[in-house]
Amino acid sequence: MIAFVIKRLLQTAALLLVVSVLVFLGCEILPGDVAQVSLGQYATPDNVQALRIELGLDRPAYERYFDWLFGILQGDWGRSITTKTPVARMLSERLSNTALLAAVTTVVAVPLALILGLLMAVGAGRAWDRVASVVTLGLSATPEFLIATLGVLLFAVQLRWLPAVAYLSPGSDLAQTARALFLPAATLSIVVMAQIARMTRAIIGNLLTQPFIEMATLKGVPPRRVVGVHALINAVGPLANVVALNIAYLVSGVLVVETIFAYPGLARLMVDSVQARDLPVVQACAIIFCATYVLLIFLADVLAHIYDPRSNLEAADRKG
Amino acid sequence: MMSKDGGAFVPGSLSDQAERPPVLSRRLFNVGLLSSGVLAAGGLPIISPAKADPVRGGSVRLALAAQNTNDTFNSAKYVQANDYIRGTSVYSYLTRLDENLQPQPEIALSWEPNSDATRWTFKIRQGVTFSDGAKLTLDDIAFSIMRHKEDKVASTAKQLTGNITSVTGQGPDTLVIELASPDVDLPVLVSIFQYAIVKNGTYDFANPVGTGPFVVKEFQPGIRTVLARNPTYWKEGRPYLDQIEMIAIVDPAARANALLSGDVDMITELRGSAIDEVAKSSNGSVFVTPSTRYTAIQAAVDRAPSNNQDLNLALAYLVDRKRVLDTVLRGYGTIANDHPFGPQSPYYNKALPQRALDLDKAKYHISKSGIGQTKVELSISDAVVYSVDIGQLMQREAARAGLNLELRREPTDSYWTAVAGNRPYFGTNFHPRPTYNMFLNLAWRKGAAWNFSHYESEKMESLITQAQSTLDEAKRKEQYDEIQSIIYNSGALVLPCFLSYVDGVSKKVKGLTPVPLGNLGGFNFADRIWLEG
Repeated sequence: MIAFVIKRLLQTAALLLVVSVLVFLGCEILPGDVAQVSLGQYATPDNVQALRIELGLDRPAYERYFDWLFGILQGDWGRSITTKTPVARMLSERLSNTALLAAVTTVVAVPLALILGLLMAVGAGRAWDRVASVVTLGLSATPEFLIATLGVLLFAVQLRWLPAVAYLSPGSDLAQTARALFLPAATLSIVVMAQIARMTRAIIGNLLTQPFIEMATLKGVPPRRVVGVHALINAVGPLANVVALNIAYLVSGVLVVETIFAYPGLARLMVDSVQARDLPVVQACAIIFCATYVLLIFLADVLAHIYDPRSNLEAADRKG
Repeated sequence: MMSKDGGAFVPGSLSDQAERPPVLSRRLFNVGLLSSGVLAAGGLPIISPAKADPVRGGSVRLALAAQNTNDTFNSAKYVQANDYIRGTSVYSYLTRLDENLQPQPEIALSWEPNSDATRWTFKIRQGVTFSDGAKLTLDDIAFSIMRHKEDKVASTAKQLTGNITSVTGQGPDTLVIELASPDVDLPVLVSIFQYAIVKNGTYDFANPVGTGPFVVKEFQPGIRTVLARNPTYWKEGRPYLDQIEMIAIVDPAARANALLSGDVDMITELRGSAIDEVAKSSNGSVFVTPSTRYTAIQAAVDRAPSNNQDLNLALAYLVDRKRVLDTVLRGYGTIANDHPFGPQSPYYNKALPQRALDLDKAKYHISKSGIGQTKVELSISDAVVYSVDIGQLMQREAARAGLNLELRREPTDSYWTAVAGNRPYFGTNFHPRPTYNMFLNLAWRKGAAWNFSHYESEKMESLITQAQSTLDEAKRKEQYDEIQSIIYNSGALVLPCFLSYVDGVSKKVKGLTPVPLGNLGGFNFADRIWLEG
């Protein structure tokens, strides 16, 4: 087990290294001279050249890559080209916003989705399952902006129960934060829940047709225990991966929700930075997004490994 | 995604309408006379300024249409509405343009030109202090203007500052500005947003210090700006508000919803059906500022096929201006005549026939151009507000006239560097400038930064220079008439309609008056508005 984790950790680190090279290269080949874009069109060629030197753009790419990489390893993300402030400072508030929204959504959506999926799998083919399947299929096909906009129109504009924008003033208390986050978290929860519930139903449903489940049932294990223990343990691996991908999406892919609710998060920062050719910020965002994916998948793999009966058997064999 | 709306690219943003009357009437105005032959500009806002007495206190939250991480307090880097509004809240200016675009005293109390308008003498207000307690000096003012000439500042107002040769203090309260060539509009020029008054020697604006109505409490570029009342502001009893908070809501529907739900008190740039939603709501009102802001189709006249004057004129006859105004702008604008002068301006050339949709004339020019069935590409983009709609209307009429007009929808990202001026036909948009001359200098001079058509003519150069220094109104009118006629006939500019600024304001907010330079009172309202008790 420990050997497995160490092996996967090394693989993850190697993968992140490759990702850092790709992110750096990607930014290198973005069209448009950074210094020129940053100074605007009134800049003289002298100014542009001066800024290029100040930014170190005259040095070879590999040197700049290693400087950047070692900087990150020491927690230094560099300085923004447009604002001249440390990237870490620009990231801090948005990173915590993004993390907060993703965490709230995860805590709400994942347990609900798993329970819903389980119920659907158990009642497969019954009226309850049919209705729930149609609803979740419909919701997972509905674009977020539609759910979000309808939510705003109903709860913010008509009923006035909730704010239309998820704007957190500095020093908001818990109640204000909860009110502000309600609509975006609900929107994302609906989207994520629909997907996870459908996958859960499919995975568990598939397991329930396996011979070992039939055997357990024939041996007289009560249905609740069949699903809750025998099937669910075998489903942990695939489910962990589905959940991990959805959480990663909550961190990196919620541009639409951030835009509609004017929620200052990382996705919006990355888009703005690409437009301003603020490469240190773009690189930082890209690395954070990629690292989120890689680390979550790593966790899912470890979880899958722990709950994989076959790997446990091997371990038992070796001990035996 | 992000609508740059000209603002982003058209720094200095100001233009026009009524150009200043000559020096004499300006001085009259300062003693409170000038009634308003030149009123023109204003137009009537939907909400009228409140008559009630201003109330102190309260906090206003403003949602802006654009979100940029390069938000700045360095006025030399101003490029968009966000910066202008933040600037007028934290800094003071020598003069301010009023509802009729007349310069009004601010830090400058009065001004006087010499006989040929090459040397201007300003009397400066005494007893003004910066928010850090330092006294405002003439050196600070001189630096605030002359720094825009410095290479390392790389100012967006560098070109406009070119004519200023020196700014010097004489005596305790007198400032003298020397010009290379005459400029009768200097008191207007010194009101532009870039000439924010800062402390002598300031190059780092991370912690801005100004003499304006508010001080910076929190500034997170691209997220929020929180401004608190400046207790030592030089205007007695102002500002009325205790706090202004600025955030960005990029999505137009979300922005309108935030106003309707009461989460914000003011928003810029209402669009489409949201205008009607706000108009019929109980808590919001539509704040309209007629202006000469515009979206146009421009031809790059230095390349084929857009160097073909007949083809350009054919396009001008293929725009259904009335339809653009009624359906695209929902009536919030005025019909234009393919040159940048507004119909209310005293300089407007009434002799030029109003262009309208005319398929016969279009067909005549198409056949004369010899373009045949060759495809003509028109670049449009969300970067240029309403250009997509205008392009689609033109394409429909072009098909009826037998012209193969194809629309190229360009990405907003890098539109202003890669597309505008680099394709044969493309959309552009501009905020107004306080004077037509300033606008012509920026957009129609040979080699000017925003001369996207690459238009060059000696005649135009000399007319712009003359108009800048001509004190005789009648003569000046003739020069501007000719400029309009040149642009009108060049075909380089197809300008269907001027756009009004349409903003949303909570009914609680009072004291806002339209200034035809930009959103929400010409981007300048911080020391004027108050909240109803």
